[in-house]
Amino acid sequence: MNRILAMTALLFLLSCNEAENEPVAVKPPLRPDSNIIRKEPNNPYVSKDVSAMDISYFPDDYPVLKMTRGISNPPVARVIYSRPHRQGRKIFGGLLKWGEPWRLGANEATEIEFFRSVTIQGKRVGPGRFVMYAVPQEKEWSIILNSNTYSWGLKQDSTKNVHQFRVPVQATPSTVEDFTMVFQRTGTGADLVIAWEDVVARLPITIK
Amino acid sequence: MKNLLFLTLSILTLSAAQAQNNGSKVPALDKSPMDMAYYPANYPVLKIQDKTTEPLVARVIYSRPQKNNRAVFGELVEFNKVWRLGANEATEVEFYRDVKIGGKKVPKGKYTMYAVVSPTEWNIIINKETDIWGAFKYDEKKDVVRVNVPVQKTNEMVEPFSMYFDKNTNGVNLNMAWENQLVALPISLK
Repeated sequence: MNRILAMTALLFLLSCNEAENEPVAVKPPLRPDSNIIRKEPNNPYVSKDVSAMDISYFPDDYPVLKMTRGISNPPVARVIYSRPHRQGRKIFGGLLKWGEPWRLGANEATEIEFFRSVTIQGKRVGPGRFVMYAVPQEKEWSIILNSNTYSWGLKQDSTKNVHQFRVPVQATPSTVEDFTMVFQRTGTGADLVIAWEDVVARLPITIK
Repeated sequence: MKNLLFLTLSILTLSAAQAQNNGSKVPALDKSPMDMAYYPANYPVLKIQDKTTEPLVARVIYSRPQKNNRAVFGELVEFNKVWRLGANEATEVEFYRDVKIGGKKVPKGKYTMYAVVSPTEWNIIINKETDIWGAFKYDEKKDVVRVNVPVQKTNEMVEPFSMYFDKNTNGVNLNMAWENQLVALPISLK
């Protein structure tokens, strides 16, 4: 386990160094992505991701509720994303540059699916499936829902943007090591809470 | 036990969310992380590189428990019981076009997948109930198709449970490998 951690840390360090040594003027269409090429020696079929994928539902833990209570209404939303680790790095304003698109995770583009229509900042959204990315700034983020589904997160096709929202960011009370997306219930629906390092953004979703 | 824990956790998370609005109750990383596989393989990467040569056919979303020195088949995964093909949420397969499995038409859409494992073959189940946890509430009445596939032995030990697609003569195989076993579910595109 420790060895894997050390290896992961080393890989991250290596990829960071590579990124710093890149000439600024010649920007390749794809940045190096250690997860594409990394193979674990102990699995000849599919390597395991450094930044594991996860899923969050609203209502929270919907699959468990469905199992224990047998509810038949579909969920409201779910998000599928990958969870990179902070690994001692400076994330916001460091690894993630201000004003540049960020895939909200790692690997595949983050995917959000609305099983029914909801309202976000006065706009009707869904039902439907979108990829989701953000443009972080110091005080606020743009959160973008885009129709270019089933794509890898490193390149966004902004011509396929469907919705764009601006949300303020707040400081977290403690450092969040693993990038996290989770729905939290509010008086009018749910917030999609997006947290990493010492920053949390909330996308308010009104559910009627 | 784990389910109880999850339920408790989710209740705690909910009440915490209402009590404090600061995002400190963030879920921990899973022991059996989720993963995704597409056919065509690596479709998302090919897509952003404009290198796709065939349309999107299928995607599977599953969790990847580790062998961790345990005996898997016959022990951890008991013979002749419904297994969720992974961990946590039931494994989900989505077809982006109509396909045929075991000679039966499976319309475009989302399904859950399970397996009943025996030493020589696995019975693979495609079921209509989606967005559910594990196989605890598996309902046979919602099966779309069940197919037997033979077990092949792998040359090397497979540490994390693995699912991936590759091409066969009539379409696609959905391969499932763990410990020293590999099964291939043929998916016809004709």
